[in-house]
Amino acid sequence: MNLELTEEQKLIQETARQFAAERLAPIAARLDLEGDRESFLANLKELACLGFMGLNVSQTYGGSETGSVAFSLAITELARACASTAVTVSVNNMVCELIQSVGSEEQKQRYLPRICSGSYPAASFALTEPGAGSDAAALATRAEPDGAGWRLSGTKVFITSAPYAGVFVVWAVTDPAAAKGGGISCFLVEAGTPGLVVGREELKTGQRASATNEVLLENCRVPAEALLGRLNDGYRIAMSELAGGRIGIGSLALGVGLAAMDFATSYASQRVQFERKLVEFEALQWMIADSYTELEAARLLLMNAAFRKETGKSFAKEASMAKLFASDAANRACYKAVQMLGGYGYTASYPVERFARDARITSIYEGTNEIQRLIIAREVLRSFS
Amino acid sequence: MKILVCIKQVPDMESRFKPDSAGVWYSDTDLAFRMNEYDEYAVEQAVQLKEQLGGEPEVVVLSVGPDRVVEALKKALAMGCDRAVQVQDPAAHLKDPWQIASAIAAYAKGENFNLIFTGLQSQDRGSAQVGVTLAEILGIASVTTIVGFEYADGSVTVRRELEGGLKARVQLKTPALVTCQLGLNVPRYPTLPNIMKAKKKEILTLPVGELLHEEARSVTASFYAPPKKSGGIVLEGDVAVQVDQLLDILRDKTTVLR
Ligand SMILES: Cc1cc2nc3c(=O)[nH]c(=O)nc-3n(C[C@H](O)[C@H](O)[C@H](O)COP(=O)(O)OP(=O)(O)OC[C@H]3O[C@@H](n4cnc5c(N)ncnc54)[C@H](O)[C@@H]3O)c2cc1C
Ligand SMILES: Cc1cc2nc3c(=O)[nH]c(=O)nc-3n(C[C@H](O)[C@H](O)[C@H](O)COP(=O)(O)OP(=O)(O)OC[C@H]3O[C@@H](n4cnc5c(N)ncnc54)[C@H](O)[C@@H]3O)c2cc1C
Repeated sequence: MNLELTEEQKLIQETARQFAAERLAPIAARLDLEGDRESFLANLKELACLGFMGLNVSQTYGGSETGSVAFSLAITELARACASTAVTVSVNNMVCELIQSVGSEEQKQRYLPRICSGSYPAASFALTEPGAGSDAAALATRAEPDGAGWRLSGTKVFITSAPYAGVFVVWAVTDPAAAKGGGISCFLVEAGTPGLVVGREELKTGQRASATNEVLLENCRVPAEALLGRLNDGYRIAMSELAGGRIGIGSLALGVGLAAMDFATSYASQRVQFERKLVEFEALQWMIADSYTELEAARLLLMNAAFRKETGKSFAKEASMAKLFASDAANRACYKAVQMLGGYGYTASYPVERFARDARITSIYEGTNEIQRLIIAREVLRSFS
Repeated sequence: MKILVCIKQVPDMESRFKPDSAGVWYSDTDLAFRMNEYDEYAVEQAVQLKEQLGGEPEVVVLSVGPDRVVEALKKALAMGCDRAVQVQDPAAHLKDPWQIASAIAAYAKGENFNLIFTGLQSQDRGSAQVGVTLAEILGIASVTTIVGFEYADGSVTVRRELEGGLKARVQLKTPALVTCQLGLNVPRYPTLPNIMKAKKKEILTLPVGELLHEEARSVTASFYAPPKKSGGIVLEGDVAVQVDQLLDILRDKTTVLR
């Protein structure tokens, strides 16, 4: 048993922390309030140059080969400063890992260096549809054979990074006659492909600097080489890659929760009411104790899932547990952080209201926490049947 | 050309420090360590010079200390140094600057470095002696507190910071040693692939006993937090008078109005 990070992991954590403090934190509130896509993308480009877009990707394809533990550490540090940046980095990494695990040699050589180097500002994972959210296998986007290639038609919603993504991984039904989930395939669609239309951007509660859009596929023609992975294997690919992505989302939640609690604790160490510092009241001490305990537990669950992934063990159940617990813990910590600041916590003069809004989505995207429980229960019950 | 960069690993300065059990230094349990800030400028400048000269110079980074300093050495390797030397000393914190400089000199003597970069001082001890003492032992020229650095044809031109915001240009021939100050450059972030590649670079471990035969010339007798001062200065009276008093204080006691 060894819970010590390696020197490389510590250096990656330190680099992420320093970048987050120096580049992300100073503008995070402004990006949230006003949006400033240019600055947002400029930071993403720099993060790409430092190697944060393909942490778990082979150096042959321009990745950093740091492993999943370092990925978790990096996302947590970025999220302490700017959750919008962190989610973009997390999704880019998920897309990279997906291409690396099921892509052809040509696909890997074509797309991975572009995402890793930042020559594509981002990459998108286009699974969700109006009629297929939690029930992803119910998706209705069709891919029909068209000459040598495919013709895609359908509507995707809630697609992170769509306006600036260089490439989209799109799920579509290739065999409508197959049993549910059995006839879905995965395609790589480049931005600018005729028929791929980036639609309305959602106005969101939090993570507002990161774009979330509708993506329409209107008779969008793609060549045969666009098929990613095996035909009709798309649903399995989505589920297995989302498991890795959940480590990213849990790590993001942890970063936001820690940022909120660190801020609130330091605030309450100075604020005086009733002639005493707020932290001298037991009511606040319990909030501090509970939150840090839960966040520490979240960190350990995340490290365990990441370590299992990195060492080639099964990790889907552990990733779901980590995502479920970390996102709930972060939401509770943010709620308490706002409470600890009193009225000031409810205003944009302090960052905790932003943290609270940013944390909210972590129990929803990449599988709601109800869906995480279904996954965990299914895995647990398997060993009882 | 051969370049040496001397770096120290220091605690995160935001930490809460407690005396160690002997009461002569801080206790290092529960502290997070990183590269001394001034040494990052030294590493950056050495790597920039290597890049300026098309990669020709060999840049060696050295640190005296316990095994945890390997992390700082790896950071320097990830930033672009070629190989590292750990002068292994679990009790480096008990050595005085003379001993640290002597140990480094014992290594550097045989290596004939053309240029040595060190930080101006360490953030924890702050003696600012190791760099200049090392230059003296090696019998080479040295300049402290540099905020600008140029190199051409065996000759170094540096800018130094003087009191009151004045600057001076100083020229010296190699071999030479410079100590680096804030403002010299902006240290790069090590890239993640370079952090991983640094694993493959050589890190030589030399026990301090093989290099150091000097006695300490000074010892830290005790380490303690000063008694807490109560209150601050409270300005009173007419607002205009208070503003004048405040300006006087800022002018005398700080650098913000210089
Ligand atoms: C900001 C943001 C970014 C996103 N980014 C992406 C992206 O990049 N790519 C992408 O493909 N998608 C993305 N999504 C979509 C996201 O993954 C879905 O919103 C999520 O999976 C939930 O689907 P839904 O919104 O349709 O909710 P629904 O599926 O309608 O769920 C509504 C509620 O019902 C519950 N529920 C549903 N089924 C069950 C069940 N069987 N048992 C118990 N409870 C159930 C859910 O847990 C939830 O509480 C994003 C969403 C947001 C808001
Ligand atoms: C949107 C908004 C509208 C408002 N409108 C008005 C208005 O119209 N008129 C007006 O006068 N005020 C108004 N307020 C102020 C509001 O009533 C105060 O913010 C509130 O009473 C809390 O005070 P505080 O913000 O100074 O927090 P603090 O008093 O600093 O409290 C911070 C935290 O410490 C806790 N705490 C403090 N003392 C103790 C204790 N002894 N034991 C345990 N815990 C303690 C608090 O419960 C809280 O969690 C408004 C505030 C907001 C945000």
